[in-house]
Amino acid sequence: MKRPEDPDADSALRVAADAGRLVLESGGETYRSEEAMLAFLTAFGVWNGESFATPTGFMLSCDGEDGRSRALVRRVRTRQMNLERISAIDSLARKATAGELGFDAVEAELCALETRSSYPAWLAIPGAALGAGFFSLLFGGSWKDALVAGFVGIALGRMVQRIQRARVSDFFANIAGGAFTAFLCMAAAHWNIADAADKAIIGAIMLLVPGVTITNGIRDIIAGDLVAGIARMTDAFMSAAGISIGAGVGLETWMLLTGVLA
Amino acid sequence: MNGAAQVAVSAVATFGFALIFRVKPRDLPLAAAGGAMAWGVRLLAGAWSGSDPMAYFIAAIAVGLYAELVATMMRTPATVIIVASIIPLVPGGGMFYTMSQATAGDAIAAATTGFATLMLAGAIAAGLAVAAAIARLAPRGLRQRARLRRPATPRDRNAV
Repeated sequence: MKRPEDPDADSALRVAADAGRLVLESGGETYRSEEAMLAFLTAFGVWNGESFATPTGFMLSCDGEDGRSRALVRRVRTRQMNLERISAIDSLARKATAGELGFDAVEAELCALETRSSYPAWLAIPGAALGAGFFSLLFGGSWKDALVAGFVGIALGRMVQRIQRARVSDFFANIAGGAFTAFLCMAAAHWNIADAADKAIIGAIMLLVPGVTITNGIRDIIAGDLVAGIARMTDAFMSAAGISIGAGVGLETWMLLTGVLA
Repeated sequence: MNGAAQVAVSAVATFGFALIFRVKPRDLPLAAAGGAMAWGVRLLAGAWSGSDPMAYFIAAIAVGLYAELVATMMRTPATVIIVASIIPLVPGGGMFYTMSQATAGDAIAAATTGFATLMLAGAIAAGLAVAAAIARLAPRGLRQRARLRRPATPRDRNAV
């Protein structure tokens, strides 16, 4: 039922699409993005909302009070895990559905979410160091390997971030990351800073490797989102291919260099 | 490294990834605890069943149920806890080895590793789906009792 404070269908569609795009850009599942958009449309009193999302974009449509259908398409180009934002949109959708927040408040909140973050950017640095170092330990590396993996992980995180900001393809970013990691870890093992190069490499490379993506791809397929699932699994295999090509290049380069030096 | 040390190590590794994934600061310790539990359950289930996919399946069920419990208690989406806590289980290394064997031209090794990797990923996904289904089927009273704040509002309809 239409209430006086409800927005017109066009504005509702636009704001719902913003919410769906933010969910996908923050690494949320496609069904979560679809449900968030429908929740907002329903909360704004719009009829027959329907959406279809894949990891790389979505379509959203609804019927207006004039009886005409409206639809829009959005592409999603960047995907960066941001769970805090996903929680925030989830609670926003819940508040809108419960009628605690009106249209204007939701729009303002979404706008703020786009830029605001309670996370300082530097926290990703200790995150990368801990993640890479302790995974190296878990895979049977020594403390020295873990230390090398941690430092390489920090550099790797910053490097990949820089490359992605330059809007180069993820495939290339993965090749560069793999090569960088393999080369540095081999060098560290050569000068006895690390005990086993492969344990340091696998620890640092955990930061790039698409383990969550492949699992989520299969989860999508189980849930019946076949297109999204296949897209995610392809994404996972492509990034794994990029990383291993890169690692191969890094190892070969090191072998050639030491071959020449020795 | 013995089991207890591995569990502690996976807690710290999960904490690191939770920072990268920007888990809400409030939920960070819960995510790390989930990662430790995931690895612990995997070790126990592996020793009990002797099969890797089975161990990962059971560990994923444990993570899923834990995430659902935290989700109802803290009013946060279960995904947030799942994505972080599942990190120690997730077959990232397997994906890497599969593709590096493939790029090295060793088709047979790549197929073997790739199949094992997909089995693990499938086992984890199935375990999470089972946990989500259990949480949806749980009696309402049980769910309400687990809730700390605010009254019930519509939750995710989808089961995964």
